[in-house]
Amino acid sequence: MDKLTKQLKRDAARIDVQVSDELDRRITASLQGITPQMPERPPMQRRPPVFWWASSLTGAAAAILLIVMLNSRTELHDTTIEPKQMSPVAVATAPTIQWKAESAMLTGPLQQELEDLQSDIKKAEEKVKRDIGL
Amino acid sequence: MTGGSEHELIDAAKAGSADAFADLVRSYRVRLLRFLVTRSASYADAEDALQDTLIAAYRYLHSYDSRWRFSTWLYRIAIRNAGRIRSQNIVELADLVDEEDDPLQHCIRASETENLWVSARRILNDEVFIATWLRYAEDMSINDISKALDRSDSWTKVNLLRARKALDAEMNGNNDGNEAYG
Repeated sequence: MDKLTKQLKRDAARIDVQVSDELDRRITASLQGITPQMPERPPMQRRPPVFWWASSLTGAAAAILLIVMLNSRTELHDTTIEPKQMSPVAVATAPTIQWKAESAMLTGPLQQELEDLQSDIKKAEEKVKRDIGL
Repeated sequence: MTGGSEHELIDAAKAGSADAFADLVRSYRVRLLRFLVTRSASYADAEDALQDTLIAAYRYLHSYDSRWRFSTWLYRIAIRNAGRIRSQNIVELADLVDEEDDPLQHCIRASETENLWVSARRILNDEVFIATWLRYAEDMSINDISKALDRSDSWTKVNLLRARKALDAEMNGNNDGNEAYG
C-alpha cells in the first residue's frame, strides 16, 4: 500500500461521526412506519361494460361499410368495357414472322445478284467453249 | 456479518421485517454517515440524508439485484440523496470555508494534522471525489464504483488516476493552484 493510499484511509477513519441515539430512534421509527413496496405487477385492466357495446357497434359499422364498398366496386366493374386481350399465340408468334421477313428483305437482292453472276459465268464458259471448237 | 447471513437478512427484510433491515444496515450506518458528512453542507443534512437513504433502501428493497454488492446499492442511493438535499440548499461544498459551517471540518477538528479529504473536496469535482472516496475509504472495486456512479469502468480508472496525481501533488506540496480535476 503506497503512501497516498495509507494517508487517504487514515484520514477517512479520522472523520469522527457517530449515529446519535436521537438519530437511531428517528431511523428506527421511520423504518417501523414503512411497508416495503412489493414488485409491481401490471394491473388487470377491467374494461367498462360500455366498451363491449362500443366495440361491437364499431365492428358492425365497419363490416357494413366494407360490404357497401365491395358492392359499389362490383357494380362499377360491371359497367366498364374490358379492352380486347390479344391471344397469347399471336403475341408469341409475331416476332418470329417479323424476323423472317426482315431477313428475306435483307438477303433477297444479294441472292438475286449471286444468281445473275452464276448465270453470267455459265454463259461466258459456253462462249469460250464455242470459240475454241469444243 | 457473513455473506449468507446478509442474504438471509435481505430476504427477511424483503418479506417486511423492519428489524431484519435494521440489523442489515447497522454496520453501514457509520460508514454512510462519514461519507455523507463529506457530501453535505451541514451535519444535520448528513443525518437527514442517512435517514432518507435507509428509508428509501427499505422501501425499494424489492428492486435490489443480488448480483450487486449490497453496499454498492446502498451507496448509490446515498449519493443520490446527498445530491438532492444539497441541491435543495444550493450550497457548493468547495465554498464551505468556514469551519463552523463545514460538517467535515467539524468532524476532524480534533485532528492536529490537515485531513487530505478536505483538500480532495476542494480540488476534485463531485463525482471524482466520490469515486476516490469509494476506492480508498471503502475499498470498492473499480466495477462497483462504476455501478454506484453509473459510469464506465474506463471513466472510473482514468479519473481515479487523475485524482491520485492531484492528491499526490497536494500531499507533497506541489500543487500549482486550485485547478479542479476530473
